Amino acid sequence: MANTLLEISELKMHFHTDKGVVKAVDGVDITVREGEIVGLVGESGCGKSVTSLSVMGLVPQPPGKIAGGSIKFNGKELTTLSAKELQKLRGNEMAMIFQEPMTSLNPVFTIGNQMVEAIRLHKKEVSKQEARALALEALKSVGIARDGVLDEYPHQLSGGMRQRVMIAMAMVCNPKLLIADEPTTALDVTIQAQILDLMRKLNKETNTAILMITHDLGVVAELCERVIVMYAGQVVEEADVRTLFKNPKHPYTAGLLKSIPQLDQRRKRLYSIPGNVPNPRNMPKGCRFAPRCEFAMEVCREKEPELSPIEKNHISRCWLHSEQKEEADRDIVGNTASSS
Amino acid sequence: MCGGIAVRNAAVFSPCPDASVLFDPVLDKETVLNGKAGEIVIAYAIRRVLMLIPVLIGMSIITFSIVHAIPGSPAQAILGDRANPEAVKQLNESMGLNDPLYVQYFRYLGNVLQGDLGTSYKTGRPILDEIGPYLAATVELAVMAMIIAVFFGVNLGILSAWRQNSAIDYTSMVIALIGVSMPIFWLGLLEQWVFAQELGWLPSNGRIDPRMTFESITHFYFIDALIQGDFYALQDAFNHIWLPAIALGTIPMAIIARMTRSSMLEVMRSDYIRTARAKGVGEVLIVYKHALKNAFIPILTVFGLQMGLLLGGAVLTETIFSWPGIGRYLYDAIVSRDYPVIQSGILVIATIFVLINLIVDLLYAYVDPRIQYGKE
Repeated sequence: MANTLLEISELKMHFHTDKGVVKAVDGVDITVREGEIVGLVGESGCGKSVTSLSVMGLVPQPPGKIAGGSIKFNGKELTTLSAKELQKLRGNEMAMIFQEPMTSLNPVFTIGNQMVEAIRLHKKEVSKQEARALALEALKSVGIARDGVLDEYPHQLSGGMRQRVMIAMAMVCNPKLLIADEPTTALDVTIQAQILDLMRKLNKETNTAILMITHDLGVVAELCERVIVMYAGQVVEEADVRTLFKNPKHPYTAGLLKSIPQLDQRRKRLYSIPGNVPNPRNMPKGCRFAPRCEFAMEVCREKEPELSPIEKNHISRCWLHSEQKEEADRDIVGNTASSS
Repeated sequence: MCGGIAVRNAAVFSPCPDASVLFDPVLDKETVLNGKAGEIVIAYAIRRVLMLIPVLIGMSIITFSIVHAIPGSPAQAILGDRANPEAVKQLNESMGLNDPLYVQYFRYLGNVLQGDLGTSYKTGRPILDEIGPYLAATVELAVMAMIIAVFFGVNLGILSAWRQNSAIDYTSMVIALIGVSMPIFWLGLLEQWVFAQELGWLPSNGRIDPRMTFESITHFYFIDALIQGDFYALQDAFNHIWLPAIALGTIPMAIIARMTRSSMLEVMRSDYIRTARAKGVGEVLIVYKHALKNAFIPILTVFGLQMGLLLGGAVLTETIFSWPGIGRYLYDAIVSRDYPVIQSGILVIATIFVLINLIVDLLYAYVDPRIQYGKE
């Protein structure tokens, strides 16, 4: 098995706002190995973007604050690195692409200017001419073959082209890790498929690990080897992609899978998970999914389940599959008995 | 209406400095690639200059009417309060002031079109010859004031935006507020008292030490001093310009600071700033390269308007600091009912104002490539 590249353990990223502390990420563990494509799935607001921005050191602090845990990247602890050292890693050893290709490129500089900047920030010895050549090569590898593109401005390109430029710019320094934060959400379906193909191709060619953040399970099925499901600032399930789609253990994952429209099933209405995501300022006491869960038991509303292994390479945060359930049940019964 | 400047694909701040422009965007990629973009910009500039004509005719009608509505007659002013009414009447007659107003106006317009701005009643010299040195003095002062205003305004604004809601932010914005609200004459007097009177660091008025034997060729003292290699004169000119330039630059500085702050705050939240951070760009480069250029359009608009105002002559500042500029020239003309000077002076100022805003409009395209100039 390949070496571990990124190891996030017990990460807590809290935001201190006027209305109280928002625990956007509350004890998240994620591992990404070299050359691997990992999907990070969850609804909007579950903390997946904040997790990835924390890795990049792009969460504005304040209001954000790392309240605990660690992020180890390539053997380096990122949470204690200085801003300058993090800056050296960003765009160099780890890179990120974003959801909005239309607004993610600076409108007043040419593509060439922005790409050359990305190269020369980290490779000072490269001359401008060499950097332009490298940039052109990177653009060709993402399928933009036109020569003049370096002298064009972002508004002269389509959304799909801009996302290709973003990917080329992210890959130009051969990063070990590429974090892709919903890179296909803003694109139409045919372009989505092209971008996913491109990412898979780059992953094969350069062995760059990809952490794919998405709420689209179709994208996950298409691209990822392993999937991590997040809910309300926590990881609730993790498995390889086949296992997860075939045999989801956490009711939330099962709910997500059920809410994908299927062509061969004639259902009147598409399934949707009842209820809403909990308010991060006021999390439920036990399992965070319990209020929306059709299998919720007494223990679920009282005690938070641990993330525990179910079988090899499959972990879940649910009392249904936890070996510690009986113990927890006993505790609750004992508590109610002693208190009454 | 704002059709002259077409903004594609993006909701950027859309400045509309000239309401009379009504064009559609047609500058497409082919045109750019064929190298015709330059021609289009030149064509646009020529059209804008042509549009100056109606603006200036309107301007001349307004000033002509207002000037003639001022009570008192030039003859009276020339001959003095106790002059013989018969003599006043005769002088009015000989200056053509008894003709119907429209006759007077068309006579004036005809002369202007032939490049004759008229002759000053007071000095008897052609205004075209007279106005040059005054204009040069004002341009010199306005440019210096604007350099101060832009340098401090932009940096204060950036500092505030960079540390929003911090002590730095509040201090900068209080400085800006004081700058906007402080009457210029008060600030000027204060400066003179502190720096000239009490500390004795700088001279309190004039453009240059009158005892200095200094020959002016271009009427721009800085350029003259440089041409002649007279560094002593250069130093002296600098000493003289500081106080009036600071007094004059304070209000634009404050306006630019506030505009920069709000513009930067908006830009710093945008996605491409996050992209730049993700690339590993340092904070200084993010602010001064990636953000400032995007935030610059509104700043440029304010710059253009303020520069126009400053060049229009700062009567108060020029009076307090005995600066022989166009503002003082006009002020003296108004006091002595020197109709031709008032009319032509305002015409010259209006022309400069419109030209500066034209230059600013053309600069937009350099700052933001999404702004393009179309043809009719």
